Amino acid sequence: MPALSQLALAQVPLGSNGTENSASHLGKALTVKGRLETTGIVHIDGNVHGQITADRLIIGAGGYVEGDIVANDVRIGGRFTGRIYARHVTLDGSADITGRIFHHTVTVAKGARIDGRMPWRPLNFFERLEHLREAQ
Amino acid sequence: MNMFTRNDKSFDTNAGSPTPARDKTETPVSPIAETKRTQAPSTPPTTYEVAAPQTRVISVISKALKITGQLESTEDIQVDGEVDGDVRGVGVKIGSNAKVKGTVYGDTVELAGTIDGKIEAKKVVLTSTAHMSGDVIHQDIKIESGAYIDGHCRPEYGKATNKNAHAAAKPAATASSAPVKTGSVAEFGQRA
Repeated sequence: MPALSQLALAQVPLGSNGTENSASHLGKALTVKGRLETTGIVHIDGNVHGQITADRLIIGAGGYVEGDIVANDVRIGGRFTGRIYARHVTLDGSADITGRIFHHTVTVAKGARIDGRMPWRPLNFFERLEHLREAQ
Repeated sequence: MNMFTRNDKSFDTNAGSPTPARDKTETPVSPIAETKRTQAPSTPPTTYEVAAPQTRVISVISKALKITGQLESTEDIQVDGEVDGDVRGVGVKIGSNAKVKGTVYGDTVELAGTIDGKIEAKKVVLTSTAHMSGDVIHQDIKIESGAYIDGHCRPEYGKATNKNAHAAAKPAATASSAPVKTGSVAEFGQRA
């Protein structure tokens, strides 16, 4: 199981787009306080306090995010506190989550810790979110 | 009672899980570190220079990313996107299409994009595509032809990056007697 998540985390930056233009990486030592918005991929190994909007978000095993996430695809291997609005959510075994996960599909690996609810939502719920996140 | 015991168990299992997780992230680093160790005795100065950037995990704010708020890092940061707020790092590179509104602090700041605010750094490089609106507080500055500056360039040896400047300047001055050291800090030490 560690091998699986390791693979997935390692593959993401490469398979992102071919070009690395839309892939952002926030390193271990980086702390962001504020809002992150991107149409691409964000890989977080550091700390983020604030709202994140992305196409694809990965929180690495050492990463910590506090706030709301709006994305198509979310993968979490680190710690997270807040709400997730994503069509597809993957929680690795090292994930530690407090809050709600609004999802259409979800995958949870053995060992993940979740404190909170995981409400299912139809796909059109997430389409409406596009407007919601702009209003916020 | 059952609930409590259950919770305790789950806590125990989770207390264990982060540590293997960290191992996972660190395993790819260790081979580099090992090779560095093995190479280091043979030719110390050159391998040190090559190995250092590899072990450093650089943060990249890509073209498509916009950050509203502060960024702080004890490592290098490369900004290609948009930052509305302050950026603090060790080596900060602002790419040619990047925009920063706020102050950029660092040991070295290389600007190829646009800053609307301030730069406070020991070593500042404004490349030919740089667009700088605001003051530059520096100890060592390089401005390439074509760079745009609207603001003051002010050298400050004590104030710029307070503690860091003091802490780094002193060892650098002593290290300048040693022949091997390369990079901005040593160069600066020699000048000062």
